[in-house]
Amino acid sequence: MPVRAFDEVKGEGLVKLYGRTRALGGVDVTLRAGEVAGIAGPHGSGKSTLLSLLSLEARPTRGALRFGAFDGHRDRRRLRRHIGVLSHQAMLYPDLSAAENLAFFAGLLGVSADRVAVLRERFEVGTYGERAVRTYSRGQLQRVALARALLGAPSLLLLDEPSTGLDTRGIDRLEEAVRAERERGAIVALVTHDARFADALADARVSLRRGKREAA
Amino acid sequence: MSDAPRGTGWGEGWRATVRGAAAVFRKDLRIELRTRDVTTTTARFGVLVVVIASLSFYLDPLLARKIAPGVLWAAIAFGGLLAMGRGWARERELGAFRGLLLAPVPRSALFLGKAAAHLLFLLAVEVVLVPLVALFFHVDLTEVFVPLAVLLVLGSTGFVLAGTLFGALTVRTGARDLALSVVVFPLITPALLGGVAATRQVLVNGADLADLAGWVQILVAFDLVFLAAGAMLFDVLLSD
Repeated sequence: MPVRAFDEVKGEGLVKLYGRTRALGGVDVTLRAGEVAGIAGPHGSGKSTLLSLLSLEARPTRGALRFGAFDGHRDRRRLRRHIGVLSHQAMLYPDLSAAENLAFFAGLLGVSADRVAVLRERFEVGTYGERAVRTYSRGQLQRVALARALLGAPSLLLLDEPSTGLDTRGIDRLEEAVRAERERGAIVALVTHDARFADALADARVSLRRGKREAA
Repeated sequence: MSDAPRGTGWGEGWRATVRGAAAVFRKDLRIELRTRDVTTTTARFGVLVVVIASLSFYLDPLLARKIAPGVLWAAIAFGGLLAMGRGWARERELGAFRGLLLAPVPRSALFLGKAAAHLLFLLAVEVVLVPLVALFFHVDLTEVFVPLAVLLVLGSTGFVLAGTLFGALTVRTGARDLALSVVVFPLITPALLGGVAATRQVLVNGADLADLAGWVQILVAFDLVFLAAGAMLFDVLLSD
């Protein structure tokens, strides 16, 4: 299993503008290894924007983002190898099976077939894993999506409303997986409206309102 | 930090691009072999265009051969746009394209892989369309096969490169296929006009490759421009 690539993610003065709309207005944030940070706030507070900056999908208009010794912009392609993202969207190809999807994304990450097999076993992607993803239940889909997010044993795991549509058993499984990642030493950032889920997992809180950090 | 991000020289970047493009191409091919979605839809549409045109415009064998290039390229252009629209629609479902964008591969690899897959699907459809056009429009394929094949491959390549480059925008905008046709058709005009004019020389005048050197150069230049533009601009187009 890969060693952590960084132990801390630090954002300083993060500003994100979409045209004239200010989604983030100067947010400082520090996420540490072995911690789950719950990112909270009402709709439009900038939670998803912050997550998109942390996942390197978007670039801050102003401010700096560092992943340990690495720069979030200059080293972005290499850093992506160490970031896992799980959202309410599965980010899978519906016409491929779970096995094919995982093999495809593992190939892009440069991860071995053994790692795919380990994750399939861990998340009980059994015989259904050979069927097209299109036929899966929400719970099955989210298990495969979680396996995809963890393929590269990420140093930073970003969870965006991961419990949406899951039943109690699915949420329990997800909690278990997040705890395991925290134990492994990953940095976990969690955005959720599910207060019980957040309370059960979050070690630290980042509260946002109108694109700004609220005092804890 | 032993597994920390490794250094990327030019050589490693190039290898990563080729590896990533090959993976995306194989993935699209696997999906297409399973669903036949893109090729079947496009081929049906293209066949319909050819049949309707043959019923509407056919007068005599000579006139038919003069009309054939327009019919063939119209079927390819509209069908190709449909193919690329469907090819990109695949990436929208379940947010799969976001998974690609999060992967540590150069964005140019995603462009090249998608373009190669789209080109293969379009050429496969052309394998059906060309004999059909030959049948309905009195074209002896044995006489024109080589120059026609060269023109189709070059014209289709430029068309697909431009369509793939701007098709990515449809994954991220609400306008979808409308946006693709509005943006792509003006851009591909040189390739389409070149393809039609050169094909007409082949079918009507029996021109060989030597006679078509000028058109071939234009089409090659068009392909190279869009290949370079795609590899360089794909990341910019997908940035927020």
